[in-house]
Amino acid sequence: MSVALKRTFQNELTLNEVVTQYPDIPRLVIIKTDVQRRGIHYTERALSVVDPEIHLVNDPAISELFGSRDGVEKPLPASLLLRDGTSILVSSTPLEENPYLVDLVDGRLALVDNGEFIEHVEFWRKPRFYDLKTSSGVPMRQIFSARPQRLSIVQSSYCHFWTDHKGCRFCDINNNNKKRNEDAKARPRIKPQDISETIREALKEPGRFTGICLTGGSVLAGNGLFDKEVDLYIETLQAIGENFATKKFPSQLISSAFNEKQLKRLYDETGLMSYTSDLEVLNEDKFNWICPGKADNVGYQEWKQRLIRSVDIFGKGHVATGIVGGVELAKPYGFISEDEALRSTLDEAESLAENGVTTIFVVWSPRPGSDFHEQQNASLDYYVRLASGLHQLRVKYGLTVDFDDYRRCGNHPDSDLARLI
Amino acid sequence: MAIQLSSELQVLLNDRKVYKALATVDEAGIPDVVLKHSIFTAEDGNIHYLELLESSRTNHNLVRAIWFDGTVSIAVTGPDKQRFQIKGRPVEVHITGPLFEKHYVEVRQSLGDVELSGVWVIEPLEVIDENISFRRKEEDVNRPYFRHLDRLAKTPHK
Repeated sequence: MSVALKRTFQNELTLNEVVTQYPDIPRLVIIKTDVQRRGIHYTERALSVVDPEIHLVNDPAISELFGSRDGVEKPLPASLLLRDGTSILVSSTPLEENPYLVDLVDGRLALVDNGEFIEHVEFWRKPRFYDLKTSSGVPMRQIFSARPQRLSIVQSSYCHFWTDHKGCRFCDINNNNKKRNEDAKARPRIKPQDISETIREALKEPGRFTGICLTGGSVLAGNGLFDKEVDLYIETLQAIGENFATKKFPSQLISSAFNEKQLKRLYDETGLMSYTSDLEVLNEDKFNWICPGKADNVGYQEWKQRLIRSVDIFGKGHVATGIVGGVELAKPYGFISEDEALRSTLDEAESLAENGVTTIFVVWSPRPGSDFHEQQNASLDYYVRLASGLHQLRVKYGLTVDFDDYRRCGNHPDSDLARLI
Repeated sequence: MAIQLSSELQVLLNDRKVYKALATVDEAGIPDVVLKHSIFTAEDGNIHYLELLESSRTNHNLVRAIWFDGTVSIAVTGPDKQRFQIKGRPVEVHITGPLFEKHYVEVRQSLGDVELSGVWVIEPLEVIDENISFRRKEEDVNRPYFRHLDRLAKTPHK
C-alpha cells in the first residue's frame, strides 16, 4: 500500500501533542478516542492469537446495527479493552485511511502507530451463552450480543426513515441490513421466549454483565407514530424482566423520541431504568439536513421536548441523548470551524443538561454504506474538547450517566470520564 | 521500577488476619486511608486489591492514579511487630474476564451478597520497613544529629 495514498493528519495535533495539551484528560481515554477516530487494522500476528473459543469475534449472524468501516464482514475480534477497563469499540478500517495497527509486542497484543508502541490491549471475551441455543433452536448469540459487561439486543435492524430515503446521512443501518439479507444471514423475528431463555442463561455467568441495552431502527408503524416500536420494546423488556427478582433492572433503551404516554407505558409496564433518544446533532439546521426523517416526523424542537419530558418519568440521571460527534462538521452544510461547532454543540447540550438530560457522543466513523461515506471525521483535539465539555456539563449540573458509562456501554469518551463523578 | 516483595511480606499480605491499610489521594491531594482485608499478592509479584464499590473514594482515587500516573501506599502490620509500607502504582484493573470472575465468585462466597467492582493490579515500587526499632537504628546510623542529648548522657535521667 502506497504511503502517499494514506490519509494524513499533517495539520492536526498528534496523539502525543494532544496528550500534552490536555493534562487533565487521561491519556488512555485520548488513545481510545483516537483509535475510534482513525480505526484499526489487525496484523496477521495479532490475528494468529485470536481464539474463537475464547474471544468475541464478529459473526454475520449476530445482528449489529452498523457495518464495519472497511465494509467487509470477516470473523475479526469484536473490539478491544484497555488496561484501565476502558473499551474501544472499533472496526476494521482500510489501510489507506491510516488506522492504528493491532499487533503483537513482546508477545502481547498492542496498539502500534507508525512503528511506535502505544498501549497493550486485550480482545473481548466470549460469554458462555454464545455457544447455546434456545429451546426453539435459535442460537442465543443471535438474540443478544455481548460486550465486556453489557448485553445488547437489536429489536429491528431496519429503520423506517429510510423508506422515504430520509435516513440519517451518517448511518448505514439499512444498507448493512440489506447486505446481511443478501448474504442470507438475516435473523428471524425474535420471540419473547427466546429472549427470556437467553437472559436466563446469560445470568448464570457470575459477574459477567452489569446492564442490558435495547435498541433498533425507528419503527413508524402503529396507531400513533412509534406505537409499534413501543409495543415491541415492552414485549422484549417484559420477557427480559421475567428473570429478575426486582421489578427494575439496570437497562437502557435507545429508541425513537416517544411521547409521554408511550414513555409512561415503558416505565410502568417494564423494568426499564433509563431512556436514551438520539438527536444525533445538536443544531436544528444541521439536524434538518443530516436527519431528514427525524426532522420530518418529529422535528428538532419536539424531539428535545420529548427528552426533557421523559426526565419527569425516568428521573434525572436516567435520560440521555446521543450525538455523532463530528458529523456537525460534515460538508457542505456543516460548521466550517471546529471552534464554532464545539461552541454550538456545548451550548445546546447545556440547555438539555439544565433540564436533566445528559448528552453523550460517539466518534463519527464514516462508513461505506452511509451518505457521508467519503467524508472525514474531526480532529482528535476536537473530540477531546467535546468529551471534556460534555463531562464538565455533567459535573456542573450534577448529572450521572451510570447507565451509559465505561462499563455499561464503553462507546463514549465523555462518559468514560464519568468514572470520577 | 517494579521490585520483588520479600517472602515475609508476601505471607503477611496474604494473611487475612493481618491489618492492611490502603492510602490513596484525591484530586486535591487529600489523603484517603482505609483498612482493607482484600489485599494480597499475585503469582507475578504484583499486589491485587479487590474493590467492592464502584463509587467509593478509593476506587475514584485508583482510577485517577491509573489515569495520571499516580501512586498509592499500603501499610501492613503483622502479629510480631512487623511494620511495612509498600509504595505502588496501579497499572491495571480487571472489570471482566477470568481473574475478575474468580474473585467475584470467591468474594461473594466469603462475604455474602456483595458487589465486586474490579480487581486492581498494583505494581510494588518500594518497600519501607517501618518497624520502629529497625527505623531507629537506621536513623541513628545515617542521621546521627537527629537525637536528644539526654539519650547520650553518661547518667541517664530517670
